[in-house]
Amino acid sequence: MSFEVVSAVIGLLLTLMVFSYLIGDNPLFRLAVYLFIGVASGYAVTVIWHSVLVPRLLDPLGNPNRLAWTVVPLILSISLWAKLSPRISRLGGFAMAVIVGVGAATAIGGALTGTLIPQVEAAMDSFDSSEGAVMLAGTVLTLAYFQFGAKRAPDDTIKRGAVIELLAWLGRLFIAVTLGVLFAGVYLSALTALIERLSSIINLVKSLLGL
Amino acid sequence: MRILVTVLAIASGVTVLAGYFLAGAVPVLDQARFILTDWAVILAGMAALIGVANLVFVHIEKVRSQPGTSLYSAVLIIALFGTTLYGVIAGPEDSFLNFAVTAIVIPVEASLLALLAVTLVYACIRLARRRADVMSVIFLVTIVLFLLAVMPTPIGPIPVLDRLILGMTGVVSGAGARGLLIGVALGTLLTGLRVLLGIDRPYGGN
Repeated sequence: MSFEVVSAVIGLLLTLMVFSYLIGDNPLFRLAVYLFIGVASGYAVTVIWHSVLVPRLLDPLGNPNRLAWTVVPLILSISLWAKLSPRISRLGGFAMAVIVGVGAATAIGGALTGTLIPQVEAAMDSFDSSEGAVMLAGTVLTLAYFQFGAKRAPDDTIKRGAVIELLAWLGRLFIAVTLGVLFAGVYLSALTALIERLSSIINLVKSLLGL
Repeated sequence: MRILVTVLAIASGVTVLAGYFLAGAVPVLDQARFILTDWAVILAGMAALIGVANLVFVHIEKVRSQPGTSLYSAVLIIALFGTTLYGVIAGPEDSFLNFAVTAIVIPVEASLLALLAVTLVYACIRLARRRADVMSVIFLVTIVLFLLAVMPTPIGPIPVLDRLILGMTGVVSGAGARGLLIGVALGTLLTGLRVLLGIDRPYGGN
């Protein structure tokens, strides 16, 4: 049997094991999922090792010109392992500080130049049509929904103002439609995967039976 | 030590942010940004390895404490060690490793996604039965109309209706998505600034 046939038969068995979840949680489903987690984690380690750690950390250690810049991340990387032990986990704080600091700065840059400015520009560009007006109103109303500033009423309850409450309710309508479209998109992806799995099972059975 | 950790986080963040926006005026900041980002990538890779190591420790402990009922954990550990050892020696391009991915990872991933097609329908039915308010109705009607417009029907595409539905849902959902995106970006901006100002210290500085 060729590699492809063996691979297809294993794939068929695992597909049936996962689909067995439809009759309830059972050992076959769990076995398939645990096997999947094991192999996927091992593959992730392989990719990290060969694509990140070897070229960026281990190879430069043999290069005297880059050695100085590699010693710091090497020490920080080793200190990060201290996070596994509660007693010495503080030692990993420096490495975490670099990850969080750089991550926060990258997130700020990405949010500004990747989302905020382009989205605001796109909202301004489309404002020359009736669609643009609906888009702008929808954007503002959606944002109004997330305005949670409130005042204490005389009866000691905390409420938003009547105007912002109305705007937020209208914003919820836009959010409901948006989430509906997103849900439908996810459902279409899932349906495509289901059709692909079923057709692969049918094709494999046909080829094994010589039909 | 906590102060040193906080200072390191703020300094590395501010340097990267300054390098991001002032690269043209001060070229050395751009170089510093590249070096710090490179370090962060290495550390993130190492953090992922530590996450996998923690997964292994948890399941080894399960095998040790419940020897009779920990078959699944044993399967996970064996699969993980086998794939890791072979992958680290042979490399991610190796044909046998790709065979393992094609035979195990892709079918299980695709099957889990396919299961979602059933569970999502079930979730919709539960929503309609348990919380039939205005928002739920709008949500469910949008799903049905959108699917009607984009999916093939037994009578072929519905000529005017599909364009009308796609146009309406496109404008409304586009507006909502833009609002959500701007909201997420504002939230990210605020969270990032809180970290850079030392107000939030998720790295263990309290």
